[in-house]
Amino acid sequence: MNDFLFFLKKVWPFLITLILWRLGAYFWNPAGILALIPIFYYTFVKPVKWFVLFGLIFCFLIDYRSNLSLFWTSWFCLAYAINGFQNYIDIPHIDRNAVLVFMFFVGAGIFVLMFSKFTWTNFINNLWLFVWLNVLYIPITSIDNLLNYKGKQ
Amino acid sequence: MTKDTLSYKLTKIIKSVLAALAVPIFIIYVLVAKPDYSIMNGLAHVVLPVADFVGDVVTWPIRAAGQSVQWVRETSNIRSENKMLREKLDEALANKYACDIAVEENKKLEHELDVKRASPYGTVIADVIFDDSVFHHNTFLINRGTKSGVYRGMVVVSFDNRLVGTIIDCGSQYCRVRALTDADSNIAVRVVGSDISGFLQGNGKTKASIGFFSDTQFIGRQGLKIITSNISGILPAGIYIGDMIDASFVDVLRPNQNSRVMVLKYNNTDSYK
Repeated sequence: MNDFLFFLKKVWPFLITLILWRLGAYFWNPAGILALIPIFYYTFVKPVKWFVLFGLIFCFLIDYRSNLSLFWTSWFCLAYAINGFQNYIDIPHIDRNAVLVFMFFVGAGIFVLMFSKFTWTNFINNLWLFVWLNVLYIPITSIDNLLNYKGKQ
Repeated sequence: MTKDTLSYKLTKIIKSVLAALAVPIFIIYVLVAKPDYSIMNGLAHVVLPVADFVGDVVTWPIRAAGQSVQWVRETSNIRSENKMLREKLDEALANKYACDIAVEENKKLEHELDVKRASPYGTVIADVIFDDSVFHHNTFLINRGTKSGVYRGMVVVSFDNRLVGTIIDCGSQYCRVRALTDADSNIAVRVVGSDISGFLQGNGKTKASIGFFSDTQFIGRQGLKIITSNISGILPAGIYIGDMIDASFVDVLRPNQNSRVMVLKYNNTDSYK
């Protein structure tokens, strides 16, 4: 059982990203965009070895499916570069799994996309997506905390 | 490697520099490669099927459970759906004879006027595997690709012969289709029963907007039927798109309204011109 938990703990970041991307569905998870949650979490909040490349690939896949021409891929690289060059904000030690930083990351991206083609319908859709991503951030990232807790027991 | 060591700090800076360098490269690529994005699409043709296959294997229990729930829901609705379909069938049969006469009259007139229309030599039936309507883009993936003779630029219609979109990228076993509501969609159309042409543009909404009419005095109204016109030389003429809702909007099919579609095959993609 412990071996299984250890294995699950190791593959979980990759597994949850893949699952959330693959289970893309109209309205609830368009183009698998919920995969941005683990991509952000395991890159900035709780860095996992080799996950950055994996996250980059999945940002590319989200872009491809949503026809966004490398937007999230560039956004992810930009965030990674900014985070690497600064030591003012220590993301791994921010409360609530750094949900506020995630809100800024996703919110700024959605804001840019919204103004590339502004209509009121898009505004409401984007608002919904922003709220939905942030609402799911805590539960999805808490699974990782739970796995770690179980693994230590 | 602890956070205080020089090698850790150096590695972090190198990674950040690489990420920072990637951003302008991506931006320049997007600006230069538009509209084909051949490198990006080529990469996606390799990465997407692999990720999709692994994702299929990993998520099959979740998807099986979801399909079971959907099956139960559909079965429970079958009685009311059957009643509704019977009513629709009666209504359609009542109109059929009038349509048959109109089709025959139309054939006769086309023959007399020597009108030549491009017609498809075959169709490919495909399932919609992903509906990716997000932000202002409305695209979706279908499970047929170049292996089934489907290529970029071909037309995708619903089973009632209504235009759904055009294929913008093709892998060996899947295709990406741009729906009419996509913000990048802009097609030439004609108002049925007149010579008035215009352009139908998607804007990420649930309906597409119509404008730039050839007759500037023309004002659209609810119920007018819109078909493709071929004046831009991209789409074949005469495919039904939808009815006008008001002076500037047309009710078009959206990706989430279709689970299965048909790809129309012409002799070659240039035959549209």
